[in-house]
Amino acid sequence: MTQLIDYILGGAGSGMIIALMALALVLTWRATRVVNFAQVGQAMFTTFIALSLQTLTGSWWVALLGALVAGAVVGVVVQYLVLRPVKRMDTSGAIIATFGVLIALQAAAGMIWGGDSQAYPQPFNNTALTVFGREWPISAYDLVVIGFGVALVIGLTLLFTRTNLGLAMRATAFNPEVARLSGVRVSRTLTIGWALAGIVGALAGVLVAPVSGISPNSFDILLVFAFTAAVIGGLDSLIGAVSVGIGTGLILSVVSGYSDSSNAPVVALILLALNLALKPEGIFGHNSARSV
Amino acid sequence: MPGDAILELRDVSVRLSGLQILDHVTISVPRGHVVGVIGPNGAGKTTVFNVISGFVRPDSGTVTYDGRVQRRMKPHHLTRMGIARTLQGVGLFGRLPALENVMQGGSGRIRSGIVSQSLAMPWTDIESERLRVEALAALDQLGIADQADRLPSELPYPIQKRVALARAMVSDPDLLLLDEPAGGVSADDMADLAQLIRGWVPERSVLLVEHHMELVMEVCDLIWVLDAGRVIASGTPDEVRSDPAVLAAYLGEDGAA
Amino acid sequence: MQNLLRLPGARLVTHAVLVLAIWRVAMLVTDAVDPLTDYYIALVAMYATAMFGMVILVGLSGQVSLGNGALMAIGGYVFAVTTLNWQTVPFTSFPMNGTWAIVFAAIGGVVAGLLIGILGARLRGPYLAGLTLGIAVGIPAIANRFPDLLGGETGLELTVPYPDGGYAPVDDTGTTDEPVDVLPTAQAGASGDATPAPGDELTLDTFPTEQAALPTGQPPLASSGTGTGDELTLDTFPTAQPSGGTGDELTLDTFPTATPEPVASPDLSSAPIDGGTDALAGVDVGFVLERWQAGLAVAVACIVGFVALNLVRGRQGQVWRAVRDDPVAAAVSGISPSTSKVSAFVVSSLFAAVAGAVFAQILAYVGPGAFGLGLSLSLLVGIVLGGRGSLVGALLGAVLLVWLPEFVLQLAGDRGWPEQVTNNAPNLIYGLLVVLVVLVAPGGIVGGIQAGYARLRGRAGRSG
Repeated sequence: MTQLIDYILGGAGSGMIIALMALALVLTWRATRVVNFAQVGQAMFTTFIALSLQTLTGSWWVALLGALVAGAVVGVVVQYLVLRPVKRMDTSGAIIATFGVLIALQAAAGMIWGGDSQAYPQPFNNTALTVFGREWPISAYDLVVIGFGVALVIGLTLLFTRTNLGLAMRATAFNPEVARLSGVRVSRTLTIGWALAGIVGALAGVLVAPVSGISPNSFDILLVFAFTAAVIGGLDSLIGAVSVGIGTGLILSVVSGYSDSSNAPVVALILLALNLALKPEGIFGHNSARSV
Repeated sequence: MPGDAILELRDVSVRLSGLQILDHVTISVPRGHVVGVIGPNGAGKTTVFNVISGFVRPDSGTVTYDGRVQRRMKPHHLTRMGIARTLQGVGLFGRLPALENVMQGGSGRIRSGIVSQSLAMPWTDIESERLRVEALAALDQLGIADQADRLPSELPYPIQKRVALARAMVSDPDLLLLDEPAGGVSADDMADLAQLIRGWVPERSVLLVEHHMELVMEVCDLIWVLDAGRVIASGTPDEVRSDPAVLAAYLGEDGAA
Repeated sequence: MQNLLRLPGARLVTHAVLVLAIWRVAMLVTDAVDPLTDYYIALVAMYATAMFGMVILVGLSGQVSLGNGALMAIGGYVFAVTTLNWQTVPFTSFPMNGTWAIVFAAIGGVVAGLLIGILGARLRGPYLAGLTLGIAVGIPAIANRFPDLLGGETGLELTVPYPDGGYAPVDDTGTTDEPVDVLPTAQAGASGDATPAPGDELTLDTFPTEQAALPTGQPPLASSGTGTGDELTLDTFPTAQPSGGTGDELTLDTFPTATPEPVASPDLSSAPIDGGTDALAGVDVGFVLERWQAGLAVAVACIVGFVALNLVRGRQGQVWRAVRDDPVAAAVSGISPSTSKVSAFVVSSLFAAVAGAVFAQILAYVGPGAFGLGLSLSLLVGIVLGGRGSLVGALLGAVLLVWLPEFVLQLAGDRGWPEQVTNNAPNLIYGLLVVLVVLVAPGGIVGGIQAGYARLRGRAGRSG
């Protein structure tokens, strides 16, 4: 029993990472009805930028800030590339374009920083915490990750509920035409959505890198986990992405604990397939995954 | 009214996401007649069609076609039952030329499966060729056989509408469901359309949903008026025209006809 | 002429003649060229086989799938497991052979395609792409669950071609029936034309020696740089060893840890050359494994291409396009949209599985690394560049997938690019090209040529 609790707790940090990446997918989906499969590629690229900044300045915080700025910029660029097929109603084209961006970003990163996995500096203590005379499977760094995640979620919630921009974004996500008629500058709102997604993804990248290391492909598996979480959460729902994302992390941690971490992708796939077969609109969503 | 109904909806109710779209709707289509369903926007006209064609399953009530109650209607079984439907707008396949668009209307009669297709067995050619000839004849009947090789996007809208009609006709249906056949059709073409529809009866039966009052009044033998999911009136064009409930709910509001 | 082509059976005859002519020409070419070129031809034909299915699935039926690499894995593994474990075809007394194994791979592909298709046909674009992405990642990982049967991370080594009389019992592995010292001499004498080698199985201990003997025959391979395993493949496996190689497609990068550090000859093609030619098989001295592989891959591609041609240029092609363009209109026309979508999935998985079985014989190996996400992405890249809805486009895409890395390698050699740049240049080009094609020329190369031709004809028509 205590072992189970340990496994569950051990998944909290990675769950938050999955939640953040899922959040990024949801943000772009709400903005443009495109699942940005390049999202992890963008996060990988900005994390490499952060690593270079870190080496240059020695400051973890400067590196983080750099990654977030780069995340916004890359997000906007990718949005411009993807928007054209979307406007042409070429759904397949939009999906394919995001994969094209993913391939190009990974190759570019490989060219610039090499293909080998590199260590990312660990800014906080990553050893198991000892509280009440017992070692817990959770480190100070996990707490930092969770703290960042919670802060971000609170910030986004405030943005969406308390600001005009947030209102405009929600209106656009609900119905772009109506939003346009009520005076929302839709294209600007879409761009901000992608920039925001880029920032959230970049944050996830910098946070996971000290644990996973960073290489052009090191986040690929995260794409599968995050997509699974985003879809089960409803793809339209921010709160769904976050809660299912954390839940996915916990489940995968338990699975890895009791069997083998190589089972995680298979388990994620089973979760995803079950969800799409039984409740394709997700737990929190109203958005149908099925075609006519 | 003649007793023999080719199609009958009895007490059909449909609720979609909390809204009562159809409320105990009873509509019948006497064989060999042109029947219209009219009503203001949101009255549930298209849902009637979707129930008949199996896209929407009614929460209660029955659909009887050709004397048999239809329980598990599937859209792609329609043509085999002898029902053909056109869609709002044109609903053509953008990447297929007009002739191939029309050929798809005869899909219900194709027997050869994917294995014989994949080996290009000669009988698949015979089937396709027969369909091609029929499709060409259907286009010819509508006077657009010379457009057979054009893609829909290369054709003017009224011609596209005709291609869609030809696709419905190629299955040689007993009952035609026309969803707004006059939409986007010019006044000149309207007379042709009315003549065309009248020409199908009494061999076939026609049920149409239409906004365009002139056409409805001209071609229909019987009209059902829907408002807010309920049948509020029915009868001949003249009866419907003078029905106070109709005037209140529909004609008065639109000021049409 | 038009009327003649409408006669029953005319399509069958024209397609058969066309495919046979292509096959004949390809055979003449494979006989004439050097083993390395044969190896490339084999790869192109193998990619084309899988991509014919992608044309049907993605191009015609409009379902963007990333799962076809995983379906190739299913084909490859079924091929490997059946050949390694069955001496005879089950329930019969037929001796097992490579053809039977391909048939079993095809059956495996159909079953998997049916399962995925039934789930996937109901899903809209991004959901389907995401689900198949998960499949691309998840299915190869299954190999790790069954290390005994599927070889785990290491994968399974195969004898190619499948030895007459089947494999020797497992405990004989590593022992040879003939004196070992025959091996090097026989090898050294052959310049590219590998002589029959005795080993019954390609085992780790015999492997390096054989490799060392090889480069004589294949000069270009020696120059090929090693690929850092950073290409497209989703390698959650940080252990993935760079195995360079000419054939170093998007996929081969994570080639198994089983491959010994390639010192003498890094190319994958060389590995099976001799391991395969079993003395018992009675293969003649002039046997060139690459030529055999090219012959196999081309023959399979021709058969699959024939089927694809019949489907695409027949009624079924119209049905797939119709459902993609307007599923509602298709339904009221009498077409079942879900059946049509599932059938596209089944056909493409069948093709993918057969391609996977061929791939297994080209590599003489199956393993999770060879069938990763990178392979699926390669297939997608190939058909998008070639032209999403065109079989010719698939062929062009396949050529591009094999040729571009070689071209870049040569360019890099001439210009003295650092290895890091060289290794990633092909994928950078692929990625940028894919985005560019989607933005400005959604029809890919074939679509672009058609549009250009139409414009030319239009201009000629106006002026004339």
